[in-house]
Amino acid sequence: MMSIVLAETASDPGFSAIHAWAMATAAVIAASCGLVGTLLVVRRMSLLGDAIGHAVLPGIVVAVLAGGRAGGPLVFLGAVVAALVTVGLTRVVRAAGGLAEDAAAGVVFTSLFALGMVLVGFAPPGTHIDAACVLHGELAFLPFDTVPVAGVDVPRAFLVGAIVLLGLVVSVLTTWKLQVFTAFDPAGARVAGVPVGLITMGLLAATAVATVASFDAAGAVLVVAMLVAPAAAAELLTRRLHWMALLAMLLGVAGGCLGYLAAWRCNTSAAGMIAVVLGVEYAVAAVIAPGDGVIMRLVGRARLSWRVVCEDILAALWRAEEAVAAPGGRHVSAGRLPAAWWLATSGRIERVDGGWRLSSRGRREAENVVRSHRLWEAWLGRHADVPIDHLHPPAEWVEHHLGSAMRERLQADMDARTADPHGREIPPEA
Amino acid sequence: MTWGDLSHNTLVVAVGVAAVGFASGVVGSLCVLRKRALAGDAAAHATLVGVAGAFLVTGRRDLVTLLVGAVVAACAGLGVLVLVRRLTRTRDDAATAIVIGVSFGAGIALISGLPAWGYPGSAGLEQFLLGHTAALTRHDAMLLAMIAVGAIAVVAAILKEATLVAFDESFASATGWPVWVIDAIVVGLVAVMVVVGLPAVGAVLVTALVVIPPVAARLWTDRVGTLVVVSGVIGLVAAVSGVAVSASQSRLATGPLVVLTASMLFAVSLVIGPRRGVVARRLAGLQRSDRRGLVDEPGGHDA
Repeated sequence: MMSIVLAETASDPGFSAIHAWAMATAAVIAASCGLVGTLLVVRRMSLLGDAIGHAVLPGIVVAVLAGGRAGGPLVFLGAVVAALVTVGLTRVVRAAGGLAEDAAAGVVFTSLFALGMVLVGFAPPGTHIDAACVLHGELAFLPFDTVPVAGVDVPRAFLVGAIVLLGLVVSVLTTWKLQVFTAFDPAGARVAGVPVGLITMGLLAATAVATVASFDAAGAVLVVAMLVAPAAAAELLTRRLHWMALLAMLLGVAGGCLGYLAAWRCNTSAAGMIAVVLGVEYAVAAVIAPGDGVIMRLVGRARLSWRVVCEDILAALWRAEEAVAAPGGRHVSAGRLPAAWWLATSGRIERVDGGWRLSSRGRREAENVVRSHRLWEAWLGRHADVPIDHLHPPAEWVEHHLGSAMRERLQADMDARTADPHGREIPPEA
Repeated sequence: MTWGDLSHNTLVVAVGVAAVGFASGVVGSLCVLRKRALAGDAAAHATLVGVAGAFLVTGRRDLVTLLVGAVVAACAGLGVLVLVRRLTRTRDDAATAIVIGVSFGAGIALISGLPAWGYPGSAGLEQFLLGHTAALTRHDAMLLAMIAVGAIAVVAAILKEATLVAFDESFASATGWPVWVIDAIVVGLVAVMVVVGLPAVGAVLVTALVVIPPVAARLWTDRVGTLVVVSGVIGLVAAVSGVAVSASQSRLATGPLVVLTASMLFAVSLVIGPRRGVVARRLAGLQRSDRRGLVDEPGGHDA
């Protein structure tokens, strides 16, 4: 069946143009959603994006029943009003019930969505709105509803999406500093005279507008994936808000195009596949993110435990030398042999008659580790009122994390004392 | 089939849905008290993948198979949430939104693909989007009712501990209660209720059956025991009347009607609820200002 469909569409001369337009439409709405979603994600309002995605439905249906057409100004107006009503009602419910915000929002947006669905059931035939369209959109049909622009038949949905994208980019750019200030320091912004309430209302309205632009393509439920997934992925990949916004838009565009192609290959819902691809993008970002992606965390943890093992060997050899000042080699347990070999090849320890011994370079490093350990014990014993038999475990952990600057400060705090609480000498800084 | 059979079937389905509505309200009150109102939403949207996946893997579409798939997917969705929380710095709200959107998208993609992959229609699976009780058999309804009764029994068993955890988590953990076990049971119950509510309300709105009744019940009482029962009754009334209306208006899906009934009960509670309702607050405000007037009067005269 699929091959017949493919053969038919491939022989259709309008085939490539139709698919290109559908992909372009997916790209512009995904870019709008990525931009708005960035602000929602950093302001911890992601679930509000979900709520608004659902709650605009009655606004859209009422506007359509009142004679508005998909992507027309009446529908946008209805959606923005519905979004603001959602937030207002949530406040009323929250104040009345004395409940957490998510419970109040959960009551309001599900009620409004249910109302919208029942209204859809009463929509007369021919109004181009039905349950399926509400739930997952009809991206594949959008390119057939065109308006002529400069002699080219441009799909209405693409035109509306492009205008919305342009409007959102311009409004975010012109208010960029205020957006950053409000997102990261709302209290400070309020004190500095930034109209925080107005900015938040603007963000809600922008969410509603982006939702309406995506509504015919993606439906009410899937828009939350386009709002949040690219923005959350971008947040993992960068720590600068402007890069995050740009990346979120790019990831959205990539997800829109790849998702459309995947849906075309698998012969299924484009909006569904776009959501899946955006989820995959997020998962990849979570795994490969520089800094604190899953891979980098594992690498960082492995490097830390390797360093701890190496430093423990050096410190153990140093303590053995301190106890018995004989030049003979010491034993290293079998589990630590790989680390010992690495220490030997990097010139920190050397092999002596069946055992291991510190080289002069290794001795310097070992002295600093032991110095960290004993300084910490001495400092804890003096300032933290820790019993003497409880000093060792914290020092055993901290010794790997103290730098020379920290050791200097601890030493300065110790009145030139040179022994730890166990009476052993604190070696000088090497 | 005779009229007797038909009405009996309708009656059994109504009883099953009533039990599901009551149990949702009961489980939901624990969830809302613990401030996890939307914990079920991610699970609810994920169930769709499970329903479609179970059908694709087994080729069967009896309710038990599909609901087992839904439970597996709901747990997987919650598991992904836990993983994201542990392994990334993405905040909870964004993680929940991603699971909702992406899992629902995957479910839609699977269900929409069925006709093209050689299955007739979408195998009736789209009824799980918005609920469709007319398709339930007597057998299905009995099954749902039994699971619902089981969930109510679990709530009755852990109510005291769950209340303690909800109101004073630090005291609970300091006195040795395993807070995470109780939380896991509550979230597990929500996942089960979401799945059981699926045939009647559908994946998109089933969270509402867990959230709206307890929030409405909160306006009637300050006692946890009463809250649980009132919430259950509101859930029951919403479920049964929604099903009854959709039986007479067959072009309307069941889910939106059930949720809309619950919203109306909530709106009524908001106005006349004796604890925190608008009227009760006005009255309390008047009484307060009366009393203040009496107390202030002598001082006013002196000054």
